[in-house]
Amino acid sequence: MIRARGVALERGGRRVLDGIDFELLPGEFVALLGPNGVGKTTLLRACAGFDIPATGTIDFDGTPIHRLAVAQRARHIAMLSSDELLADELRVRDVVAIGRFPHRPWWRFSASEADENAISAAVAATHIEAYLDRIFTHLSSGEQQRVWIAMALAQGAPSLLLDEPTTHLDVRVAHNVLGLLRERTQSGTSVLCVLHDINEAAAVADRIMLLGCGRMLALAPPAEVLASPLLDEAYGISMHRARTEDGRTIVVPAHT
Amino acid sequence: MFYRRLLPPLAALLAAGVGLAVGGDALSLSRIVQALANPHAHDVAHTILWQLRMPRVLCAALVGSALALAGVQLQGMLRNPLVDPYLIGTSAGAAVAIAFALAFGIALSVLPAIGFLGGLGASLLVAALARRGGGIDPTRLILAGVAISALLAASVALLSVLARSISFQLTLQAWLIGSLAGRGWSDLRFALPYAVVGALVAIGNIRSLDALRIGDVRARGIGLDIERAQWSILGSATLLTAAAVSLAGMVGFVGLIVPHLARRVVGSDARALLPASAFLGAAMAISADAIARSVIAPRELPLGIVLAFAGIPIFIVIYLRREHRR
Repeated sequence: MIRARGVALERGGRRVLDGIDFELLPGEFVALLGPNGVGKTTLLRACAGFDIPATGTIDFDGTPIHRLAVAQRARHIAMLSSDELLADELRVRDVVAIGRFPHRPWWRFSASEADENAISAAVAATHIEAYLDRIFTHLSSGEQQRVWIAMALAQGAPSLLLDEPTTHLDVRVAHNVLGLLRERTQSGTSVLCVLHDINEAAAVADRIMLLGCGRMLALAPPAEVLASPLLDEAYGISMHRARTEDGRTIVVPAHT
Repeated sequence: MFYRRLLPPLAALLAAGVGLAVGGDALSLSRIVQALANPHAHDVAHTILWQLRMPRVLCAALVGSALALAGVQLQGMLRNPLVDPYLIGTSAGAAVAIAFALAFGIALSVLPAIGFLGGLGASLLVAALARRGGGIDPTRLILAGVAISALLAASVALLSVLARSISFQLTLQAWLIGSLAGRGWSDLRFALPYAVVGALVAIGNIRSLDALRIGDVRARGIGLDIERAQWSILGSATLLTAAAVSLAGMVGFVGLIVPHLARRVVGSDARALLPASAFLGAAMAISADAIARSVIAPRELPLGIVLAFAGIPIFIVIYLRREHRR
């Protein structure tokens, strides 16, 4: 379980976030929302142990995450960043297999039975059987995102951190990808996921963590966050709320 | 796919056979086989084979495979297909050290050792400049490598202008173009341990190089200690390049193009790519050296020139054909 206590984070020597406290419970889906530059990725990186908080601690089961050995950390927390292009001609099955990295001692070059099982399970869970032998870069954005998620699942970590997994995806594919992540929470995996679409986040998450003005404005069930004026404050824009036929609240920017 | 992994070692074996068979003096195949079978005999064929050709073939194999292994690792680490092992300053450092040694009239027999130390020193300087946090910044590494190399190359040019002696300029030129002329068992014995250590570290780097294929940040996410991987790769590449440069001077192209050829043959899986690069590098350098020794015998062409004239057209043809097929 990931737990942050009194965390402040800096980026390029400048304080971006202060006073962050939260717990990511087993099997929980938390969507991380907030305007550009507020520190969503910075927070995610700190949770993955890439960066050390300026103050406070982020623990995994009681141990500060940045104190864990790199491979040990990767067995507990899988982090999927979104900002890199992949230039190499990798096959899909190779990409998924790379997820087994933290489970493999340096002297073993081939996959063990446990590796094979984890890879097969990840492939089945993400429904990518059909393009296992294709070159990764030849896939569509949605297919690529599924493969990344398969890689993270093969990693077998109980906590999954994702940075904007639905960027560049059309509405149907994004829906499918989030559905896939939602499914994983049923088996106890916790998901902390940076999203940009507020309504998308509300539809899939158990709780929404709203960052704005250099702090955590809210960490609450979607209905509460969407109804709150804090949302308008976070984005610096007033929002209209409406109800859908099935009773969900959705928000859209108000015309000014 | 699997049989393709056998091609590079076969190519290296074939090249070694050719390398032993050709040279200034024509020896029949039967005499070569005889001399190979009786390493303690005392005839002319035996001397030519064991004292001249064998060490040359092995030196060429070491140079080719070391440069290719260094190149493939640096390209993988920096994810930049234009990177070659000389980028990290090794060759320029070696060249300056050699130029100084020649200018001060130091014995030719210690030039490999001096080149090795110069190469190592320049690479360490480049690595120190490229440091950021605990690791290496790829852009800084490339910039520092280019800057230091340019400075050292200018120093070599300056020495060459100041020293008017013809023998100095000829020896220096041989180093700058790359040549194995006059190399024998003692040079090989000097360079081999460093190359072996570099190659062993390279084997240890295979796992990291595979992880780095998905990008630095993602590789970190799956548990790769990026900083440690970078230093290990740079260390291996430096040892390998310095060993190669100490033997043959600045042999170009092998470290740049062999990794690309190897990728075409066996794909980009580091477990297959590293050995394939080493074998193809050896095959290319041995063949080029055999040509260098034989076309204008008893004189010799510099290895670097043969490699450029023979290697680059092959590279272009293989690349272009591949592009057409797509």
